Amino acid sequence: MRLLHLLNKEIHESRKAFGTYGITIFLVLFVINLVGAIVAKATGSINVENYYGMFPGFLMLGGAIMTSIFFSDDMFSKKGQHAWLMTPASSLEKFLSKAVINAFVYPIALILLFTAASAFTELIALAITGDKFIMFNPFNGSVWTLVLHFLVVQSIFLLGGTYFRSVHFIKTILAVGSLSILFAIFVALVSRIVFAPYFTGFFTPNFDSITVNFQAFESNMRIFSIIGKIFYWALIAPFCWYVSYLRVKEVQSTDAVQ
Amino acid sequence: MIRMHDIAFSYGKRSLFTHLDLEITKGSIHGLLGMNGAGKTTLLKLISGQLFAQHGTSTTLGFDPTKRNVEMLRQIFYLPEEFPLPRMHGEEYLKLNIPFYPLFDKQAFNEYREAFDIDLKMNLNELSLGQKKKFLLSFGLASKTPLMILDEPTNGLDIPSKSQFRRIVASAMTEDRTFIISTHQVRDMENLIDPIIILHNGQVVFNSTLEHVCNTFTFTLERTEQSSSSIVFQEKVPGGYMAVAFREDGEEETSVDLESLFNAVVTKPAAFSQFVAKSAIGGAQ
Repeated sequence: MRLLHLLNKEIHESRKAFGTYGITIFLVLFVINLVGAIVAKATGSINVENYYGMFPGFLMLGGAIMTSIFFSDDMFSKKGQHAWLMTPASSLEKFLSKAVINAFVYPIALILLFTAASAFTELIALAITGDKFIMFNPFNGSVWTLVLHFLVVQSIFLLGGTYFRSVHFIKTILAVGSLSILFAIFVALVSRIVFAPYFTGFFTPNFDSITVNFQAFESNMRIFSIIGKIFYWALIAPFCWYVSYLRVKEVQSTDAVQ
Repeated sequence: MIRMHDIAFSYGKRSLFTHLDLEITKGSIHGLLGMNGAGKTTLLKLISGQLFAQHGTSTTLGFDPTKRNVEMLRQIFYLPEEFPLPRMHGEEYLKLNIPFYPLFDKQAFNEYREAFDIDLKMNLNELSLGQKKKFLLSFGLASKTPLMILDEPTNGLDIPSKSQFRRIVASAMTEDRTFIISTHQVRDMENLIDPIIILHNGQVVFNSTLEHVCNTFTFTLERTEQSSSSIVFQEKVPGGYMAVAFREDGEEETSVDLESLFNAVVTKPAAFSQFVAKSAIGGAQ
């Protein structure tokens, strides 16, 4: 019950920002698709609706930015932190109320917004151009696959948003980029050491010594693929959510920098 | 109600508290005095769980404050020195925040709000600092939390509001409630706060009831500087010298001048070492 009160409070206090963002998305979809339909009609070209092309951008980029800054005021602002810390709710409830909005409420609200905006835009376009009515389908499988990917990506920005005290989004991108580069270097070095007999010089493969067993190669690749999928789908999000929760639990007044 | 033992806290390399001990019992309006930078706000944040001590143990209302337990938080209302209020009307604020305080008394809130002349129809973020304080103070008093922490509550209040503040806080005081009021404007708090806690050089150098102070010291305004051996402290004030002296047997009791008491304690903390004893604090546990 307290979690619901917190959710209500979060949504209510952020309603202006959410409203502005929603209206912006609505207008972008409306203008681009309506103008596209009118131009296509006038030039006789084929009208290609952009809803599915724009949805991933708003979902991923918009969601990542929103997640990055959603904890900022309450965790890291000298002015905003006090009220949040002293609200009679547990750290888990405070964390969940924000994380749930970003991970679940946001994509669902975005799908509903895209559906409504596309229906409205297509109706207007139909009335003006008489073109066929193709709206955003919220039940399209690819939309929900994208939402699943969003849950993983969002969790990384959730961790960045709670871990970094400022410039959360950029720092998360830089941290992920740096970790990827370090990981790639590490894998390359390990490979060079483990497969030393197959290299000449620093990184030049010695093809004479390589005999390919395609069956073993395929089997190994399958194992790597399974490990990768488990890591991606089952480990990244729970790990990031748990560490983010710990960060929320341990945040203090000294973490407030703005 | 609040126990702190051997607390150490520092901001980076700057040590603020070392071996700080404090005990606050329930049922009084405790005044927390200290110079700028003495650590009054830090101490209040340690009590309320917004900061974690680097060493020592503490309990607030029987809870470990670092856990920020829900039961502890719903028993504390903390009015900070400066704070923003969300962009919404007072009524909306009440609707969103009352569910977190099960003892909230709407009727009492309206009485406080009317006394402070706060309009609920106004946007909260458009109120002045003083009006915001009065709104949040009304909310806090009506929340009936056993522990009220007020950090420099009179900063930003106009002159009539300061006396209103004293009156309303005094009227909201019950034996089940405890107030901790931090201030460096002791004149605003005269006749309201008792006991007095004084923070200086990272220590609680004074923690006592005014009754105990009255029994031990006299506060007199003298025309000239005094040289008696009973004088603990004296300072030049408009109209002469304010002298703090040990009260002798049979000598008439004087009222405590908080400003002089504070100056005396921070100038000669050793003379007041007996007032740090935990037993000196009145009230029930």
